[in-house]
Amino acid sequence: MDKRINELGKTIEKILPEVDGVIGLKSGPSGIVAPHLFAKERPEELAFLAVWPKEPVPDTLKIILRAHPDAKLAIVCRGCEERGIVEMFKHAQLKLDNVMLIGLQCEQSEAEFCRCAKPYTVHAKLTVGQPIQGVADPLTNKIAAMNLEERREFWKQEFEHCIKCYGCRNICPQCFCNVCALEDEKWVQTGRLPMPNPSMYHLIRAMHMTAKCVACRECEETCPAGIPMAVQFRLIARDVKEMFNYETGAVMDQKPPQLLVLEEGEYQRTGLPH
Amino acid sequence: MNTEPKIIGFLCNWCSYRGADGAGMARLKYPPNVKIIRVPCSGRISPELVLRTFREGADGVMVLGCHIGDCHYSTGNHRTAKRMPVLKKLLEYSGIEPQRLYVNWVSAAEGEKFANIIHEFTEQIRALPPFRETMESRTPIEIKPAEKEAVWTSA
Amino acid sequence: MIQYENVLTTCPYCGTGCGIHLQVLDQQLVGVLPTKNHVISDGGLCIKGWNAHAFVNHPDRLKKPLIRKNGKLEEATWEEALQTIADKFREIKAQSGPDSIAFLSSAKCTNEENYLLQKFARAVIGTNNIDHCARL
Repeated sequence: MDKRINELGKTIEKILPEVDGVIGLKSGPSGIVAPHLFAKERPEELAFLAVWPKEPVPDTLKIILRAHPDAKLAIVCRGCEERGIVEMFKHAQLKLDNVMLIGLQCEQSEAEFCRCAKPYTVHAKLTVGQPIQGVADPLTNKIAAMNLEERREFWKQEFEHCIKCYGCRNICPQCFCNVCALEDEKWVQTGRLPMPNPSMYHLIRAMHMTAKCVACRECEETCPAGIPMAVQFRLIARDVKEMFNYETGAVMDQKPPQLLVLEEGEYQRTGLPH
Repeated sequence: MNTEPKIIGFLCNWCSYRGADGAGMARLKYPPNVKIIRVPCSGRISPELVLRTFREGADGVMVLGCHIGDCHYSTGNHRTAKRMPVLKKLLEYSGIEPQRLYVNWVSAAEGEKFANIIHEFTEQIRALPPFRETMESRTPIEIKPAEKEAVWTSA
Repeated sequence: MIQYENVLTTCPYCGTGCGIHLQVLDQQLVGVLPTKNHVISDGGLCIKGWNAHAFVNHPDRLKKPLIRKNGKLEEATWEEALQTIADKFREIKAQSGPDSIAFLSSAKCTNEENYLLQKFARAVIGTNNIDHCARL
């Protein structure tokens, strides 16, 4: 961990004079880490550079770019965060012309913590750390192997603990809609706890995460009830890969399937009647 | 438990609804379990709408649109073709039988196909337990005043 | 020059005391982030915590004291408002006794402000009728 911080610090120091700021993680009081914009006017802050625990930095980038569209920025991002940034760019939420990506590669312990299959960056030109191979997610495989009744029981138990804090939606790097379907009384009843069965909130979220989820696990980490909702998102991601040959954030020039009409051969893979 | 299945069908105005009309004009018999809702295009059917239909107690949901390439709005049914398969998969991963959601394409001239589809789907749903039974939920805590409850007919 | 930082503080609402990061962009409060590895909140927040930044710059907040004159609320100065309060409290306390006045505090105030209010209620007015919107 220390080695990466040194290398990262040196990389940032080199870039700092050329940009308006570098978004990274800063260690604050009691060692609690938060996203921060390091700037050349305050070089002493680099002493508090941190890399773990990871925080949702794509949203920080979006907030700053919305207020300062012409700013030249660099951002330290892991594999999942880079995918999140690329995906937001594809959905026209930010422009990448003046954004430099600094790819931070994850370590084995971090990849196992996030149960991540791709703990490395693919688009960033500058990288820090050595890329490693990802790990399979045992929980996703476990749910995939269950039968219908077991899955029903599993999700009923999990969603019963939901307190509707909307944390999963708030922290998701991909959730940017100004008017959210989850706040619409028509779809998600207000004032009703515990969640109904089936849970409208979670199923609608899962559908809206189609071809958007980047497997950063921020939703699961911020959930006060510890619900593994990302498992549903990743199971759908497998089908999106199979049906539409699309992986979130993987290829910069590939448009997401929801923005396109059916391509050659896609219909046959959807399983719909001919 | 011998309850009649309750099925809601979302039919697009230009093709499938006219096909259903055609079935009626030809006096074709089909089971009365399907309540038809006419929408401008099958692409209008959002996953939220299908999920709420299940929440309100439907045992089966049908989405019938124009054939691919024949959509009145040219690409509306492309959206359906991308959305509905993913929704079916999600239902499967959440423990809801994916065959409760039925998607097909019926043109304005295919009245007989429409009647056959209704027969087939009604029997399929009849063989499954009622949706309510499979998803019994706990009684919710009463937090809101009674007036707001009128919007939602289910518990 | 662009300034963005996260200020660590404690959520003002209930007694749990979850850690909260206030997102500040160019001296403006823009949002909230939870605190991972916090000893109490462990990276989670409830819905009140997620919206703890909303009341700070809310358009509904009062900017000037308002006094009801002839059935309508009218803007007034601080001196006039404080004088009116002091006169009325004195009058009510003399006529109906200190227990006829009750005090209601708020989770959106600081602990220090809440302490001042209860000291005011108990020592100055002489009543125990003090409560808090969260009943704490």
